[in-house]
Amino acid sequence: MGLSANIGALGLFVEVVVIMIDVVGRFFGNPLYGSQDIVTMGMTILVFGGMAMCDRNGGHIAVDLLEPWFPAALNRIIDIVSALLGAVIFVFIAYAIYESAKLSIMLNLSTNLLRLPKAYFQWGLAGFSIVTALGMLLRAAELSLSGRDIRHEKAAEL
Amino acid sequence: MSVEVTGFIGLATLLVFLAIRIPVAFAMFFVGFVGICALKGWNAAMSLLSSETFTLASSSELVVVPLFILMGNVATATGMSRQLYNAAYAMIGHIRGGLASATVVGCGGFAALSGSSVASALTMGKVSLSEMERFKYDPRLSTGVVAAGGTLGILIPPSTGFVIFAILTEQSIGRLFLAGVFPGLLLLTMFVLTVSLICWIKPELGPRGPRSSSAEKIRALKGALPILLVIVVTIGGIYGGLFSPVEAAGVGAALVVIYGVVTRTLSFAAFWHSARSSIVTTATVMLILISAHMINPFLALSHVPAFVGGALVALDIPVLGILALMLLMYLILGCFLEGFAMLVLTLPIFFPVVLQIGIDPIWFGVLVVLTLEMGLISPPVGINVFIVKSVAPKVALGDIFRGVTPFWFAMLLTLVLLIAFPQISLFLPNTMFN
Repeated sequence: MGLSANIGALGLFVEVVVIMIDVVGRFFGNPLYGSQDIVTMGMTILVFGGMAMCDRNGGHIAVDLLEPWFPAALNRIIDIVSALLGAVIFVFIAYAIYESAKLSIMLNLSTNLLRLPKAYFQWGLAGFSIVTALGMLLRAAELSLSGRDIRHEKAAEL
Repeated sequence: MSVEVTGFIGLATLLVFLAIRIPVAFAMFFVGFVGICALKGWNAAMSLLSSETFTLASSSELVVVPLFILMGNVATATGMSRQLYNAAYAMIGHIRGGLASATVVGCGGFAALSGSSVASALTMGKVSLSEMERFKYDPRLSTGVVAAGGTLGILIPPSTGFVIFAILTEQSIGRLFLAGVFPGLLLLTMFVLTVSLICWIKPELGPRGPRSSSAEKIRALKGALPILLVIVVTIGGIYGGLFSPVEAAGVGAALVVIYGVVTRTLSFAAFWHSARSSIVTTATVMLILISAHMINPFLALSHVPAFVGGALVALDIPVLGILALMLLMYLILGCFLEGFAMLVLTLPIFFPVVLQIGIDPIWFGVLVVLTLEMGLISPPVGINVFIVKSVAPKVALGDIFRGVTPFWFAMLLTLVLLIAFPQISLFLPNTMFN
């Protein structure tokens, strides 16, 4: 999780640097060739790099209005079901994107200017999704076996 | 089973999932995916999933979200937000309720750096609450003003609220940013007037602070200069046609990082923390957006928006009446739903109606974002109130909600003014884009 978040943060840093170089370069009549390609593909890395850490820190928005009225056991079951549902969703995302990457290779799809193969980024996205799904599965297992909810502990050192 | 019935079963399932605390993104994703499977089959659902996920994750327009979040996070880490507050404090801290007004102005300034209301409330809360406590401000006023002032974050551009609205409704982010300028300033003024009114009625709630000398004022203003420069360059760059919103966000983020490095107020660890925190927040937003793009086609296929639109038009009330009805629904929903989730859940249903009856979509965007702001301080789930509570643990939650009430009414009055005078929202975008 930490590694995927670090890769995501690196992606964000690259975005900032690329945009800055592009804007300054354009000011001097020499914009960065292919900056749009790097920015859009980098976005896939930074978005999905943060998914696992987002779940670990309880970052997904939920309407917890009725939580105090539910018995503790029911709340725990809901937490387990939510984590399992999340894991299934991310497995689906990984599978759909992986299949799409196969198509990208077959059709030789790439970005417009730098010709970066889209499949590489789709594989990355699928990989981050699997990491997120595994994190959710582990959380569900912990909740079921020991009742420990990692999200209620101190947020992971960001 | 008719498609409409399938649609309403999907909506009912969604509401049940939300009520039992399934995360909003998971609930929308599940209903959307299963619904499309039911209506169009597995292959259509998988195809939509792969195309929408990658398209959104590589959307050039959405790059502004992590960049503006990063800009706000780094500005907080470098202490720029404190300098902003100090400048406002030096200028108006000596008048009755001046510290509370300075907090509102500080929130407005920080809002122009960050697109997040929560970040604004948290940052300005940390900076201003201790000062107001020191000068014996009533805790209801001090906490109320921070919670309310923080909401300016999603009205004053850059605003994540407008970015999400633009993506969901295919409107121009630039136009929406421009449309938010005057309403944001109007609301800021309303908040300052509310503080003045409160302190005029009950002077003991907001005593005068010490008067700053001219030298102190100049020093404080100099301290705020870098922030003002960043705001002028980024927001001014968009309006002046120098940058696209994405470029402005990138340049703004780079400038605050450079400022932090040059002034040695930003360590590598603090920068990395800000970057990781920004991508985690972005992940929350993006998963909801991906889920919204799963449920929207399902709702469209099941004709739910058309059904709701037909029902509203059949009411045979004027356009303004329908608009008021929709906004009323937003105000009620805002009491129970997180603002961003409310936006993605309701726009697929309401927005086609808005277009059908001829309401200006940009104007509607401003009104919706303002009602969304009101939801941020409405009991029982006003998120900004909880944020302020985390910064001021000694103040009872009930007191914060009581303190924020006058500001809620100020927002309501602003909403009425924006409905009565659409030009307040539309003047800038219509002038500059036409």
